[in-house]
Parts: sequence; structure tokens; C-alpha cells
Amino acid sequence: MSTPKISLKDAEQKAFQSTFADGLWDIYLGCLISMFAIAPFLTTSLGDFWSSVIFLPVWGVVYLGIRLVRQHVVMPRLGTVTWSPARKGKLRKFSLVMFVVNLLALVLGVIVAINLLRVPGLVATLILGILLLAGFTLAAYLLDFNRLYVYGLLVGSSPLVGEWFYTHARISHHGFPITFGITAVIMILTGLLVFVKFLRLNPILATETSSEEV
Amino acid sequence: MVDPHTPPELRPLMDINQVIHASARLMILSYLYVVESADYVFLMHLTGLTWGNLSSHLTKLEEAGYITIEKLFKGKKPHSIIHLTPPGRTAFRQYKQSMQQVLDDLPD
Repeated sequence: MSTPKISLKDAEQKAFQSTFADGLWDIYLGCLISMFAIAPFLTTSLGDFWSSVIFLPVWGVVYLGIRLVRQHVVMPRLGTVTWSPARKGKLRKFSLVMFVVNLLALVLGVIVAINLLRVPGLVATLILGILLLAGFTLAAYLLDFNRLYVYGLLVGSSPLVGEWFYTHARISHHGFPITFGITAVIMILTGLLVFVKFLRLNPILATETSSEEV
Repeated sequence: MVDPHTPPELRPLMDINQVIHASARLMILSYLYVVESADYVFLMHLTGLTWGNLSSHLTKLEEAGYITIEKLFKGKKPHSIIHLTPPGRTAFRQYKQSMQQVLDDLPD
């Protein structure tokens, strides 16, 4: 029987991946994606711009809530760590890539909204799907967060599947409420399951106040 | 000190750093080697060691000058942050090299 090799790279990866073991990122991303499912219903009453802007305070509240849960529930169980310069560099690269992907999505959105290049609807849907898939896949790769690959496939295929529903079954709003809705529910439920599992597997450990060094 | 009865061909084994060689301390140093710093809870979570066990191994590593334990406070609770020192990093690297060398030279 061969002894498995000790890999410092794997040790670092394991340490980093443990920060996603709480499922909170899944819940947050699921909430973000749910906008694509809910916004089409608001468009008729609020218009394209306000139906999107109205989500900003909602995202803010969800983000704050998740930060509070992380600080008061997750951190006492998981502990705190400062990453190595190499990992910090990778995180900076991640932020930059996400900025570029979001910028591209914004430019595409503006082009489609003001009908600047007369992009056919299906092409715009295809580009949206590719951008979402690329964003999630790059994030999964740069963060070593494997569940994001699956979410990328679900989110990336949602506009196209929605378009198919719209064309073949005349589902309203290009089928977005169904496809993005299902995807968001899957992400939020996965996050909740992971969170519950995390709480069960990681009870609060003896705090430093109970240690002999105090 | 090397035992004079140790066969010369096995003497490199006696030179292996015994502070690092204990499996728990090796595990702790491996994680501290790949991050900048971590607290007790994070190390307990990753290594699976109990509080008392981790504490005693960290004390040994601190005495050897391989780590520093920075005592801070989070509210009223003490919160210790553990860093690998430059000598600790060097010792770990040397340990890794010497183990590789010793094990590579052993016949299969």
C-alpha cells in the first residue's frame, strides 16, 4: 500500500476551501440570481431601470445579513486566517476578472436596452448565457470553489432554456422567471443544506477564555 | 547529540529536527507554512487536534522559536494569532529537504 504524498499545495487549498464550507456564498449568489427571475414581473410597473435598481438595497440587506451570520455564527466555529501573498494575489486577480466580466455584461445590457447595434434577441440571450457561464467558471477556477462550475452551467444555460420555453411553450418573460427561478432556488437550497451540515459538523469549539493561558 | 553507537549510514536520521518531526507539530507547521497567520480555532478545525493538544504543541514550537503567538483581544475575549517565524520557515524547509534526502536514499 502506498502512502499518500504530503502536498503543501493541497493543504493550502484545503484551508482555503474550508472558508466556503458554510454555504453562505451559495445563498448570496442564489439571491443575486433570483433578480433575473423576479425583475421581469416588475418591468411593466417600474420600467427596465427601476426594476433592476430596486434590487440594490435588497442585495445590500442580504449581504449585511450574511456578514453578520459569518461574523457571529461561522467565525467562532471556523476561526480566522490571513492568506499567503500568493493566495492574496489570486484573490486580486479574481476581483479584476469579475470587474471585467461585469463591465462586459453592463455594456451588453446598455447596447441591448437602447438597441444600439440592433442585436437580435437570441444573440443577446446567447451572449448573456456565455458571460454568466464565463463569470462563474472563472470564479470557480480562481477561488477553487467547485460548486460554482455547476452553478455556472445552470445560470449560463438559463437564458437559452428560457428562450426555448418562450418560443415553444409561450412562457411569459422569455421563460426567465422559471429558469432563473429554479436555478436560484437550487443555489439557495444547496447553501442552506451546506450551512446546516456545517453547523452540525462544527460545534463551537472551546473559546480562548476557557483555556489555561488566560 | 549523536549516539556513538549509531551506524554511520543511519546518522542522517538522527539529525532530523525532532521538534518538527512529531506528526501533530508537522501538521501545524504545514498549515502555517502555507498561510500568513491563523488563530487557534482555525488550526483546531484543520488539524483535528483538541484544544489542550494544540496548545501544548504550539508551546513547544514557540519555545523553539518557530512560531510567535500574538495575544490580542476580540471584545473581552482573548484571541491569539499564530505566525510562523522566519527561523521556523527555514527550519521547516530544511526538514522537508532532509526528509526527502533521507527517504530518497533508502532502497525500495
